[in-house]
Amino acid sequence: MKKFILALASIALMATATMADAPAATAPTKVKMKIKAKEKNGVVKAKVLITHNMLTYDQAKKKGKVANFITHITATVGSKVVYDASVSQFLSKNPLIKFKFAGKKGDELKITYTQLKGEVFYATKKIK
Amino acid sequence: MKKSIVSLVAVAAMTVSLSATDYRAEKPAAWTAKTVQTAIEGLYGKITPVESGDIKLKAPKVASNGGQIPVSVKTDIPAKTVAIFQDVNPESAVAIFEVPEGTKAEFSLKIKMKKSGSIIAVVEGKDGKFYTTKLSLEVALGGCEG
Repeated sequence: MKKFILALASIALMATATMADAPAATAPTKVKMKIKAKEKNGVVKAKVLITHNMLTYDQAKKKGKVANFITHITATVGSKVVYDASVSQFLSKNPLIKFKFAGKKGDELKITYTQLKGEVFYATKKIK
Repeated sequence: MKKSIVSLVAVAAMTVSLSATDYRAEKPAAWTAKTVQTAIEGLYGKITPVESGDIKLKAPKVASNGGQIPVSVKTDIPAKTVAIFQDVNPESAVAIFEVPEGTKAEFSLKIKMKKSGSIIAVVEGKDGKFYTTKLSLEVALGGCEG
């Protein structure tokens, strides 16, 4: 019963999330990211290189393009959130992020990010 | 009828769940603030963070490339969120980390800084207090020009 409610809840949550987001909200797209996740003594060290222009408003103006940058990054293992960062246009181009969390080998780490217009991208990697 | 159930369930889900908060959506004022002070206020309200040696904020003393400055922040203070600001870019807020249960408040990221200035970290403690530390650095080549 609980599982069913939780499932319903997550669907509802996703529905509200996509409704709240920008008009371009589409289903999450799988992309390639360089993810390193190594576990030692129960602690997983994760290193993620996300390929992204991180085009600031100023840079976009100069180049006559539309600003586009990552705004939110989360990392999850199963349904558990192990990293959550809301970020600005001032992260480097192709930002490299590192973080640690309690986890174990074999679990799958999923990195999801949202960009300015609301599109969502993700990648997964098994923890070594 | 259905709509209200869905929204009720959504609310329940949000309270039950995953600590994943999109601070871009939650605190828009924090992201357009042009000074560190107003950015902090936009995020946390009118608070007075206390200088703390328990926050280890690291960045190179001289950043050769302003577009790729490695910054790391680490603290043993039981934290809810950790926020990073700088005082030289058009807007001050850089990143806000929420510290999920079972994780360490230890993060590294690479940021852009237009020129030499300071990076400021604010830690929102689980005790309801706020802690801060500041780091000055020189930037050899400005980082916002692509």
